[in-house]
Order: sequence, then structure tokens, then C-alpha cells
Amino acid sequence: MTPMAPMLSAPWEALVVCLLLLVAPAVASQRRSPPWLLAGLIVSVVVALFASSGTVAYVGISAGAVLHALAARPWSRTGAAMLASATAIALATAGAIHLGQMPMAFGLSCLALALRAGVLPFHAGVASLCERMPLVQTQQLSSTIALVFVHLRHVDHHVVAIEWAPVLVRYGAFAALAAALITLVQKDLRGFYRGTTAMHGGMLFAAVGAASIGNFAAALLVAVAMGLALGGLGIMITSLEERTGPAAFGGPGGRGGPFPRLAASFALFGGAGVGLPGTAGFVADDLLLHALWMESPASTVVMILSSAFLAVATLMAFSSVFLGRTSPSLAPDLYPRERVVAVALVSLLLVLGFAPGVLLGPADAFLSAPQ
Amino acid sequence: MSDPVHVALALDILAPFASVAVVGLLMLIGNRRPSEETAVRLVTAGLLVSVLAGVAVLGAYWGVAGAAVEGDIEFGDWLRIGDFVIPAVLRVDGISVTISLFASVLTALIARFSRTYLHKEPGFVRFFVLLGLFATGTQLVALAGALELFFAGWEIIGISSAFFIGFFHERAEPVRSSIRAFATYRFSDAGLLIATVATLEFLGSARFSTFERAGALEPFQATVLALLFLVSAMGKSAQLPFSGWLPRAMEGPTPSSALFYGAVSIHAGLFLLLRVWPVLEVSPAARAIGVVVGLSTAVYAALVVRVHTDAKGALAHATLAQVGLILAEICMGWTTLALTHLVCHALLRLGQYLKAPNMIHDTHRLGHGPHGPSRLERWSPKLADRVYAASLHRLRLDDRIDVAFSPVLAVARTLERGDRWLRRTLSLDGASS
Repeated sequence: MTPMAPMLSAPWEALVVCLLLLVAPAVASQRRSPPWLLAGLIVSVVVALFASSGTVAYVGISAGAVLHALAARPWSRTGAAMLASATAIALATAGAIHLGQMPMAFGLSCLALALRAGVLPFHAGVASLCERMPLVQTQQLSSTIALVFVHLRHVDHHVVAIEWAPVLVRYGAFAALAAALITLVQKDLRGFYRGTTAMHGGMLFAAVGAASIGNFAAALLVAVAMGLALGGLGIMITSLEERTGPAAFGGPGGRGGPFPRLAASFALFGGAGVGLPGTAGFVADDLLLHALWMESPASTVVMILSSAFLAVATLMAFSSVFLGRTSPSLAPDLYPRERVVAVALVSLLLVLGFAPGVLLGPADAFLSAPQ
Repeated sequence: MSDPVHVALALDILAPFASVAVVGLLMLIGNRRPSEETAVRLVTAGLLVSVLAGVAVLGAYWGVAGAAVEGDIEFGDWLRIGDFVIPAVLRVDGISVTISLFASVLTALIARFSRTYLHKEPGFVRFFVLLGLFATGTQLVALAGALELFFAGWEIIGISSAFFIGFFHERAEPVRSSIRAFATYRFSDAGLLIATVATLEFLGSARFSTFERAGALEPFQATVLALLFLVSAMGKSAQLPFSGWLPRAMEGPTPSSALFYGAVSIHAGLFLLLRVWPVLEVSPAARAIGVVVGLSTAVYAALVVRVHTDAKGALAHATLAQVGLILAEICMGWTTLALTHLVCHALLRLGQYLKAPNMIHDTHRLGHGPHGPSRLERWSPKLADRVYAASLHRLRLDDRIDVAFSPVLAVARTLERGDRWLRRTLSLDGASS
């Protein structure tokens, strides 16, 4: 019997985001995941978020990673191997928590986070997923949010987390900068998605570092904003490529003409990823920068520059793919099922942008209390 | 929120946004794109509500119906986590009310002008969506009571500006120009973002009202903050060395050029400096730099405008010269003169930009006066030739920025090669890009 925390104190909001990201690819795409896989992933996220024991929560995380690995296996063996490694690491973390070895649990949990979020140079698996099957990556993001939540709740209150905070913050900031620079010189849409994901991974790592000194809400919001923005981008990229094939940046692609809704959705998700005002990304960036400043003003500047580079790369990618003389296409714009997903994700990004307290108030109170 | 002033202030900002959101939603979930008429009606309605709300706020500021309203108007907290608060606060004072109403009226006028000017143009609906977005951004900037809200508006202006520049995206040049302008904005915006975070640390709050305590800052802190604000203003107002994007921005449709680069957006940097004046006031070094930058830009623009061969490009540099002078005025402490200069200049340029397409006709009608050698040409023909060549190439500003930026791109390419090698080495999937 899984030990469960009282329902009212649990962050239902985080669960809503995770469920949305799990279900969205299944709704949007013709390639449906098997129902048992989706059900298993949902159960693993619920267990991870609601279990009051760290050991059980990490077992939930590892179960989710196994299922993601199974989903990724036909498309990307590198991604599946990364997820299998993350499974083993999450199980080891569960064991370390069970034995009371918190420094080891913290280190292992950080490693699992680096692998799942695709922080440079641990990004080979996530990069492969982004390149070969963005929809699996979108689902994988949902349990990465759950992992962040579990990390913040169960291992980030330990003194070792405070000792390592400066390292994580600086490492995350420089990893984000390197990834943003790499994104700037990509030559196709999948490369852009890969680089953007790695940049957000660095950002998330820095946020988790800053969380150790009391900024739990910033880290959770960064994870949620990252999940929604990158998840939306992944779905839009898949939708576009199902219609026109891979998109290279060889000059203006003119796809905005036949697919205006797809272009608008891509712009919104891309914008949310670089802090578009009104979206959760803006508040997440702002909150993160304030949190980073407390630990390292230099890292704050590095993060701001990373975000600027990524913003330019995003506009360049959008311009290359969607702007230019319209290239005629017989393929339709977004189908209703894809529009439903886009509207749901954008709505959540906007709600969290305008009223971030909806998520952050309860989550901060919940995560700040020692477990 | 039931207080009429609160309602008016909220409508001032949210009405244009709501109109854009409705058009966007119709586009995203409807089976057909919204028609020209639908987009015009919705966005114009949003803009008119914003104008009426602006008039109501002005009335409240003057105390037309009761006690005069001034200072911070609270809307609660945008976000509160423990001690950390991002306040949802707007500011009513002489500067904010002037700029808010001025910007909303001009935007509404441009909407009316564009309805005819851009009729049947591909991208008509997109133009009106961007116009509504821009109006939201300007109202946020004008009325924000804290730097976080101000930055949100500032970013919205930058994004809508970039999309306006790339409006005629069938050609490659407008797209390239929009990316360059956006890059300049984002990197100079870094100054404002760092300043926002630093202000919170130094003064305990990022509200504009707390800048009245700027005198208590350490000289180093005040100078750093003032320089960060100055860099941000220089980027937005195209001051040297960030001037290169402005002539490129003329690729956009004439009404948006008039609104952005003649009237409102180009002056946003100056408005920022007026807002944070207490910090500038206690930083003589930053003010001196501002004066030098403003005057240098004015001289540079005055030289370039004399050799420019296209109407909108010449107007852009004429605008730049005046904006440089206003920057110098602000940094010399003549803030009232600067605000007056700003408003008058914006009105003049708006008219000139809107009339730019008629300029060739007017020139033919009025004819050219005889053009003899200038004083410089008479005094030193060689120097005159050099000045002419330098002005013609706009001091090669863009080339110099490209050269300065090239090491960053070189680092990016090296990192990309390393990344590709690493992924190939670790890949279990065979060939990978």
C-alpha cells in the first residue's frame, strides 16, 4: 500500500500539468500510444507526486522512466538507453533515501535530472529523442516535471543541497549558455528543438540549484513552463513534419501561408520558451533570475544572455520555416484534435502567466515545508 | 477593482489585449480565418475603449470629478511567494498619463488610417493583431508602476516591432532586418532585466516610487543601475552604436513605421529614462555618457540624413537626430523640456511618415532648389569627400557590430562541432546528424 499524503496538501496543479503533457501527444497524433502504456505513465506520475515517502516517490519515477524507455525503444535506442539509465539511477536514489544516505541520494537525483532534462553534456539521450520522436520527448517531459517535484520535496531540504547550490547554479547557467549558442547555429528544425531543450535543461538545473536556498517555487515553475512550452513545440514540429517532411533552414520556407494556425501556435510556444510576457515563461524567467541573483549575480547575467541568444535563435527558426513566399501545399492546417491540444497548452501557459499564484502558492507552501 | 479609476486603468491596458485574444482565438479554433472587417472591428473597438479609458484616467488625474488621483494604484500582487512579491501596480502621474493617452490616440488613428491603406493586403489581419498587441505593450509601459510590469510591456513592444519589420516576409530583406532589430532589442533589454533584478536587491522593491530613495544608493550601485537603464534605452531608441537597425526597420508597412519609429516605440527608451530619472540624477557619470551618446547620435544622424536617397530612410535618420537631442536633454536634467520635445517631435514625425509615400509627388510638384557646394566642401573638399563616404556607408556600423559579434558565432560553431561529435560517439542509433 503506497503511503499517500493528505489529498488537500498535494499539488494537484502539478498533476494537471503532467497529465496534460502525457495525454496531449496521444490526442494530437495519429500514432497513439498503447492504452496500457498511457495508464502506466499516469499511475507512475500520480504515485511520484502524491507519495509521502521519498523511496516510493522515486520508485514511481523509475517506473515511469521504464515505460518511457519502452515507448522510445522503436524510435531511438540512445533515448531508450538514457531512460533505462535514469530508471536505474532513480531506483538507486530510492535505495539511498531508504538507507538515509542523503548526500548520495541528492547526487543521484541530480544526475537523473541532468539526464532527463538533457543538460549538457548529459544530453545525448534527450537529443536523440528530440531528433527522432518529439512526441515521446513531450511525454517524457511530464515525468521530468514529476522528478523535479520529487527532488524538491524529498532530497532538496538536506544540508548537502545547500552546499552544492553554488555549483549547480553556475553549472546550469553555463550549460544553458552553451546550449543557447549551439541552438543559434542549427540548420534544421529538429536541431533547433534539440538545442532549445538542452538550453532549458541548463536553466532547470540552475533553478534546482537555487531552490536549495529556498526558491522552490521558482524551480517548479521553470519546470512547468519548460514542459508546456517544449511539449507544445514538440507537438507542433511533429504536426508540421507530418505535413511537409523535415524542415531545413535553407532560407525562408513559406509554410506560414498554408499553415497559419500551426505557425501561430509555434510562435506562441517558442515565445513562451523565451519568456514571452503574459505566459508562464515570463514569470518563470523573472522568478528564476531573482533566485539566481541571490546565489550568483554573474550566473544571472549569463542566464539573461542565454535567454537572449535563444530568443534570437527562435525567431530565426520561425522565420526560416514559416516566413517567405508561400509554398503551396495540399495538406490541411491543424486538425481539430491538434487545435484542441494547442489551445489547452496555450491556455495553461496564459493562466500561469497571468495568475502564477494558482500554481505557486500551494506548491511553495507544500515544498518549503521539510518532509 | 470596483473603483472607477481601477476599472479605467485596467481597461486601458486590457481592452486592446482582449481584442487581440478574441481575434487569435477565432483564428485558432474557427474553421475560417477572421475576415478583414471582423479583425478591424474587434481591434478598433479595443483601441477605442483604451482611448476612452485613457481620457477617464486623465480626468481622474486632473480631479475633474472629485479628488485628484495620483501615485501608485494597487491591483494586488501578481505573484507573492513568502517575502518575494511582484506587485500588480500602475502609476498615475503627469508623465504616465500624458504618454498613455498620447500613445493610445496615435495607435487608434493609425488603425483608422491602415484600414484603408492596407485594404486587401495579404497579412491585413496580422497587422491589426500586431497593432493591438503593440497598444497593450505601450499602455503597460506607460502606466506600469514597477519594473516587472514595465519590462513585460517593453518586451511586447519589441516583439511586435520585429514582426512589423518582417511584415512583407515574401522578400528576404525584411525578414533579415526584423531578426537584426530583434537581436538588438533583446541584447539591450538584458540591461533592463539585470537592472530590474538589481533594483530589487539594492532598493528592496522594483516599484518606480521607490526610486525616490535612489539618493541612498552607493555611488557604484547608482552608476551601475543608471548605466544598465541607459544601455537599454539606447537599444530601444536606436542610439549609437545600436543605430543600425532603424533604417532597416523601414522595411515594414508605412503606418507601422510611423507609429513605431516616428512616434511611439522610438521614444520608449527616453520614456524609460524619464521614469528612472531619480537614479540618473545621482549618477553624474552615466548622465555624462548619455549626453555624449545623444549628441554623437544627433551628429551622426544629421550627416547620414543629408546623403540618404530614400524617403523613409532619411526620415528615420532625421528622427534619430532629434531622439539623440532629447536623450542629451534628459541627461542634462531638462526633463520637462525633454517630455515636451518628445511629444511634439512624435506628432511631427507621425505626420511626415504617413505622408512619406507622397513625397516623390510633392518633390515633383514643388521642385528642387539650386544646390551649391556646402561650407565644408568649400573649406576642405577632401574632408567633405570623406564625410560624404562615411555618411553614405553609415559609418559601417552594422559591419562593425557583425565583426564584434563574429567571435561569439565562432564559439557557437565550435561548441556545435563538439556537441555533434559527442552525440555521435554516444549514439546507439547509427548515423546521426
